[in-house]
Amino acid sequence: MRIHVSLLCVMIFCDSLAWAQSSAPVASALQASNVLNPNVSVIGWFQGESGQRKLGEGEEAPPAFQLKEAEIAFQSVVDPYARADFFVAVEPSEEKVDLEEGYLTWFNLPYDLALKVGKFKGNFGKFNRTHTPETAFSDRPIVHEKYFGEEGLSSMGGSLSWHVPNPWIFVDLNAEVLNMPKFSEVPAFDEARRKDLLYIGRLSGYYDLTESANFTLGTSYVHGSSGQEFDAISSSSKTLASQLYGLDITFRWKNPQRAIYRSFFWQTEAFWNKREISSLPSVKSFGLFTHLEYQFLRRWRVGGRYDWSESPSDDSQHEAGGLLYLTFAPSEFSLISVQGRQIKKPTGETENVGFLKITFNIGPHGAHPF
Amino acid sequence: MKKLAIGLVALIFSADVYASSKLQVVTTTEDLAALTREVGGDWVEATSIAKGSMDPHFVDAKPSYLLRLKRADLFIQVGLELEVAWAPPLLTNARNSKILPGNQGFLEASENCEILQKPTGQVDRSMGDVHPLGNPHFWLDPANGRIIALNISNKLSELDPSHAEDYKKNLALFQTRLTQKEKEWDRLVPELKGLKVVTYHNSWPNFAKRFGIQVVNFVEPKPGIPPSPAHVQSLIHQIKTEKILLILMEPYFDTKLPQKIAQETGAKLAIFPPSVGADKNIKTYLDLFDFGLKLLKNALSRSGEKS
Ligand SMILES: [Zn+2]
Repeated sequence: MRIHVSLLCVMIFCDSLAWAQSSAPVASALQASNVLNPNVSVIGWFQGESGQRKLGEGEEAPPAFQLKEAEIAFQSVVDPYARADFFVAVEPSEEKVDLEEGYLTWFNLPYDLALKVGKFKGNFGKFNRTHTPETAFSDRPIVHEKYFGEEGLSSMGGSLSWHVPNPWIFVDLNAEVLNMPKFSEVPAFDEARRKDLLYIGRLSGYYDLTESANFTLGTSYVHGSSGQEFDAISSSSKTLASQLYGLDITFRWKNPQRAIYRSFFWQTEAFWNKREISSLPSVKSFGLFTHLEYQFLRRWRVGGRYDWSESPSDDSQHEAGGLLYLTFAPSEFSLISVQGRQIKKPTGETENVGFLKITFNIGPHGAHPF
Repeated sequence: MKKLAIGLVALIFSADVYASSKLQVVTTTEDLAALTREVGGDWVEATSIAKGSMDPHFVDAKPSYLLRLKRADLFIQVGLELEVAWAPPLLTNARNSKILPGNQGFLEASENCEILQKPTGQVDRSMGDVHPLGNPHFWLDPANGRIIALNISNKLSELDPSHAEDYKKNLALFQTRLTQKEKEWDRLVPELKGLKVVTYHNSWPNFAKRFGIQVVNFVEPKPGIPPSPAHVQSLIHQIKTEKILLILMEPYFDTKLPQKIAQETGAKLAIFPPSVGADKNIKTYLDLFDFGLKLLKNALSRSGEKS
């Protein structure tokens, strides 16, 4: 079974007919029913936590040990024009099974376009689209949690991407229209009326400085609503707006002649939000995180993150913090990370928490996102 | 604002000006690019994504490669999951339907080649990062190079029938030169016959089979798994007891550990090129074997002097 799944991995976007022709000797060793199965993989995320959380109202401290998530991915080509990606998150401690993402991508359109429809993570910044088990952290950066909630900015709709043709640098222009998420899920926005829409735009460029070093620069913008304002006199209501601006920069270094041994990574994202509030002046808030990582040996990485963030509903106070980690990866398919986090709460309290993050990946050899 | 718009439009149309009349071929490795140049001659421009000194298993799928893939008429990959971590995301993002698997502009070089070490029975990752379709380093047998060149020639003729005659001629020319070279190389075979070597990764089964060399063990205990102290100890023991003269390593691994093993055992360590471009003197597919065989011969004669 595992062989069959791995075989499919190679041909992940190949239509079945061509597959059968080009690797007839291999295909004959398989059952036809398996050949057309999608690529299935599972990432397990085990987490340990120690230390005293400084909890807000209604918050509950997590237990010492958790199987935070099992993320099951089904990925396959649909036909010669499109592929489909499904990510199911099973969170045992929350007693939740959730379709985290499920979308169809027509990657084969003319004019350098690609169109995506379904439920997916919005293309705002670079970090938002990464599933938490696959990030370097045991948590999400404070600014992401404050503005996008625990699961990130995600909703249902469509996304159109255009690779702006030019011979020099890689430029992607992206426009998305999504259902307005609820405040309880994505605190930067709130659904006012049933058919309210969220608009996301992103322009990003990638440039190779040298063979070893490169950077990506992106700007993002979201326009959404932040609830409704009722006018008692005219008994009419007005939708309040929330606008979010983002700037992100990612720098990478890796000697391609020694690709598996050393690398350096730096990423920073900043958020500016202007959120209208009923009969009060707009809340203008700001937040950022910056993340550095150095791979100093084939299987070892050390990294740190700095957080500073106000919240979309309160620009009078902020939270700041930092996370440090040391990660050991026995192979490409598993890793063990020890992390320490300190957060200075707006109340003046300091929270120190230690994490143990273990992730493990089964299934065919996945493609590495860049 | 208006100027910006005009500039943007000009930029978009200028992109097409860069399109050349030559058939644009993008390959995953330098070996495939070199073979494409042999067969394509003046009608083809071939570039490789991975350089010869890079590990073809681990290449970052950088967006800058997409610019080249977008303009490509033909994409050639080694196949057998060698590029599984980086070629699929590049192809799906290139916005170039011509070069997608199953379409005319996609070629898998391994077609009809002799593939060794196809696993029989259960395969799982307790065996390391195994290649479940067989060893993908098959281009290191000139007989497979001949087949790859034929595959490329057929594909170029299909894409560009007006120059099909030239591709056939170039192929015949290349094959004649290869046959001549093979005769030259064959004269070395008796000398190399039974030569026992240790290699870092399992990159040379086809090469070893063709030239009568015996790869007795690897510095990696399992493919893609870094060596453990216990494995290194048993390897040192094996090299000493079996009197192995040579440790061959790919240019993209750290030399520290193999150097230590060589020092402790007296074996000679050589950076052995697995690809065109791995050394600046290896410019063509034929150079690859010339260089490698000369290196083996020199290493042998020198260790012969020592004993
Ligand atoms: Zn390999």
